[in-house]
Amino acid sequence: MKAVKYFSYEVKRLMRERPALLVIILSVLSPLAGLTLYRPASAGTMMSVYLANPALAGGAVSGILFGALTLYELDRTKRKRMEALTDAACPPTDTALIRTAALLPIAAAALMLTMLVWLPVSFFKIGSVMDLTNYCLAYLLFMGLALPSAILAASAAYQFTRRADLSFVLFAAFAGSSLTVWADDWQLCWLNPCVWALSDDFSNFRIFRSVAYMRLTWLTGLAGIWTLSWICVRRRGKGIIGSALYSCRRLYRPAAALLLLVCYGIGYAAQPIVDHSDPDPEVMTFAELPYLDGIVCSGRTAQVCPDTSDGTVDGKAVYMFSNSSGREQTAAFGINPGYTVYSAKANGEDAAFSVGGHQEFNEAMLEVAVPAEGDVELVVEYGGFPQESSGFSTHQGYTEISEKYICLQNAALAPRLLNVLPDEGGYPAEIEITLPEHMTVIPFCASEAERISANDGMAVWRYEDSGTGGILYAGDYICQNIEAGGIDIQFYYGRKHREVMETAGASEAVKTVVDYCTEHYGPLSFGSGGSLKLIQSRVYGGGYAGGGASLLDEEDFTSDNLNGSGKGAAPGEVMIHELVHQWWGLANMFDPSDSTDPWSAEGLTVYTAYRIVKELYGADYAEKYYTEQWRKETDDYYLNFYVREPEYLDRLPEDKRAEITGALSHVRQYCEMPLKILKAEKLVGGEEAMDGILSELFSREPDPAYPYLTYQNFLDACGLKEEDLELG
Amino acid sequence: MEISIRDLCMTYPNGKRALNGLSLELNAPSLVGLLGPNGAGKSTLMKLLVTALTPSSGTILADGRAVAKTERALKSQLGYLPQEFGLFDELTVAQFLDYMAALKGLRDSKTAVRKAIGAVGLEEKKKTRIRALSGGQRQRTGIAQALLGDPPLLILDEPTVGLDPEERIRFRNLFSQTAQDRLVLLSTHIIEDVQSVCDRLVVIDRGRILFSGTAEQLIRNAAGHVGVFWEHDTARERGLHITARVNTSRGVRCRAVADELPDYAEPDEPTLEDAYLYLISGEAHR
Repeated sequence: MKAVKYFSYEVKRLMRERPALLVIILSVLSPLAGLTLYRPASAGTMMSVYLANPALAGGAVSGILFGALTLYELDRTKRKRMEALTDAACPPTDTALIRTAALLPIAAAALMLTMLVWLPVSFFKIGSVMDLTNYCLAYLLFMGLALPSAILAASAAYQFTRRADLSFVLFAAFAGSSLTVWADDWQLCWLNPCVWALSDDFSNFRIFRSVAYMRLTWLTGLAGIWTLSWICVRRRGKGIIGSALYSCRRLYRPAAALLLLVCYGIGYAAQPIVDHSDPDPEVMTFAELPYLDGIVCSGRTAQVCPDTSDGTVDGKAVYMFSNSSGREQTAAFGINPGYTVYSAKANGEDAAFSVGGHQEFNEAMLEVAVPAEGDVELVVEYGGFPQESSGFSTHQGYTEISEKYICLQNAALAPRLLNVLPDEGGYPAEIEITLPEHMTVIPFCASEAERISANDGMAVWRYEDSGTGGILYAGDYICQNIEAGGIDIQFYYGRKHREVMETAGASEAVKTVVDYCTEHYGPLSFGSGGSLKLIQSRVYGGGYAGGGASLLDEEDFTSDNLNGSGKGAAPGEVMIHELVHQWWGLANMFDPSDSTDPWSAEGLTVYTAYRIVKELYGADYAEKYYTEQWRKETDDYYLNFYVREPEYLDRLPEDKRAEITGALSHVRQYCEMPLKILKAEKLVGGEEAMDGILSELFSREPDPAYPYLTYQNFLDACGLKEEDLELG
Repeated sequence: MEISIRDLCMTYPNGKRALNGLSLELNAPSLVGLLGPNGAGKSTLMKLLVTALTPSSGTILADGRAVAKTERALKSQLGYLPQEFGLFDELTVAQFLDYMAALKGLRDSKTAVRKAIGAVGLEEKKKTRIRALSGGQRQRTGIAQALLGDPPLLILDEPTVGLDPEERIRFRNLFSQTAQDRLVLLSTHIIEDVQSVCDRLVVIDRGRILFSGTAEQLIRNAAGHVGVFWEHDTARERGLHITARVNTSRGVRCRAVADELPDYAEPDEPTLEDAYLYLISGEAHR
């Protein structure tokens, strides 16, 4: 009771202090840094730009501010000799505990105020895809939990050293390490969690879980370190050792410190979020496994039950083997390292199995004994929290499992067969998945998922696939069926994005683009059986296509991007641009190794979008909003100081140089190259001739050694030389 | 409240020996004046009593229990005013006392604060921020926090420093009243304060007790060792300790203490200050 009363008075006292009020005000303003100076989330989704970055910057800045406030407050009582009074009224360990604890509600108040102030700003900037749950979780995890961590760290430094200057150096080094040398280690960057993207249209629970885990392990560790420092609080005129020995007479104190530190150690070492895949991308031992002799797989089924509330998966996979070898052999499967194999049964009998410690490409190896019987039905039961690859630990969030979105790829869906050949039918697979009723299942393959039953708010879906793996998407999707280019297109996008998609005329754009591009350049190579799924995915940092489906990264369909003038004059035209990428941006079309290369997917995409717009709205419109814009931008580019005097660019700091180079290469890709293609169009004899050339390039047989379409390929196809297209 | 100090020694880490086998019994009700020159060990003794320091050896018992083992219990019964202290400048007087009352765990803090403010005469300043107080008012605020909750043990280290004469008299009377039912330990350099209110004096020097008793007993010890004379060249050589030197129209009239008074000195009645100086100077001489 006494402690509670003292705590409340200490909080009230702090709230009357100018430095504390100043820190609260600066903390409230700190998310501004995320809009300008510090933008660690690199994705272009609205939530990344206007929520993740402000919250992350808020966490970093206010964490440092609260660390400094902690040091100021703790040192002040010593510097101004207030301890003489307070220590006579209460043991110094009690006052130390209360003084540190009293900073926590101040931090909470700063967080609440920040959230209140930034809520309308976020609603205004993010628009229709703004989500209150994401908002609260982002501020709480990215910003909020940085504050107690900083308070504990600074307080511990002071309690150990009893010197403000030394404590500040220690705290600055700790915070600085997080912002610099530890920035690429998701478990170590305690101040600035590794968040590269937040999804607008789908959920972000995976990244929130990861950050929460990192925060809680650090809080546990820092609480342990703080408890150690608390033991060292100077009392009775003793030094650090004497005080610690005196405090240790109460055994619960060192025991609590030890327990917290042990918990931190276990939490750090046994983190369940990312795997321990071999960091060497050259190591591919799983792919090099020899196939079993005399055993083939005639089919497989899997029943997968994701738990959308805790992000886990439970599954049962059945494999049909024909064993003509007459002996027991060991089948190998790749399984997500986060999964536990509960049982393996061959023809109803327990089969010996083991999961190896070595992991590569986000898979661990499950080995199961296949008995020496002719036909073997192998049933594997597995489950757990799917881990993501350690190679992408700073880009987490792909394996999302929530009520709004699910993405399960290959070994995260079901154990992937590694060393058994298929029989003549390939690896036919039948997948059943049980999900909340509102979710739509979209297998990333040609076949359709069929809803076979529904009960208690859950629905069972079934689809057929082939191969050893498979990719599955599910979510709260809207599906629009569009006939275009002679194929049936299922265009899936998140229900939350409906307003943005409808405003941009997404389905019309799909039809227009597919009709136009199919007619002019040829059908998409990854269309299958006259159908194609276009699936808007959660932010991915790119896309992929194959087997009758293509992924559209939600990042390309944000309202910021659709309203950006660089890719089109109106949202519908930007939509066209993004869809044209299905022809010019996928399937190994361009070498992605140099992002500043003027010859990129953008040149042909912008040119094609211009051609479509010209067809839709006329030559004057296309001239005004496209070619004139390109010319103006390109003229400005040639007049740019750093273009004319490139040696000065080399003298700039690296980050500034990268910023300028990025802006310049954007002009070269989006304006200069389309102009060059336009010039080539005139030189080769007009639009029809260019369409013919591009059609041939699009459907060319790629060289397996270097499958990309080069600028030289383009020039050769046009019968031109590089200097022919100079714009000077 | 009974305080029993036995063979108390305190040596600081830098080797300075502040207390040297000090033993003392203090019983309530009593107002004990603690006298001694600078560096005698008074503040060290007080810090040991409030458990701000750990003795090198010896024990301090409060009501028969070692204070080292009953720190929390002792602090709940303690009012302490250190010689040097700081206050939370951002608070008003009332807020600060409220805060200290919470820290001390007082149940009826409002009454305790009102009483303490009344006792030190800061009613008009109770809503004034501490940063706006004068030095004397800050000292009174410090005294008020020590008085909060009427603690049975009050330890005051130089409490009247910075107070004007009127205030000083008021406070020593307050301490006297307070000591009617509790133990008050008052350390001061102002002999007059001690003489006026303390029922017992403890004089310490170099970490040891030189005298423990009443003021009358201390004065009695100095009888015959105090004299007055007109300034004389040989006074210093004879081991006289001049305690007063008054310029008059006839010359300089001196007052001195000594083991043996010279012939030219006229014996005089000792004051407490004479007696204290006689005690201290005798100790220094030895």
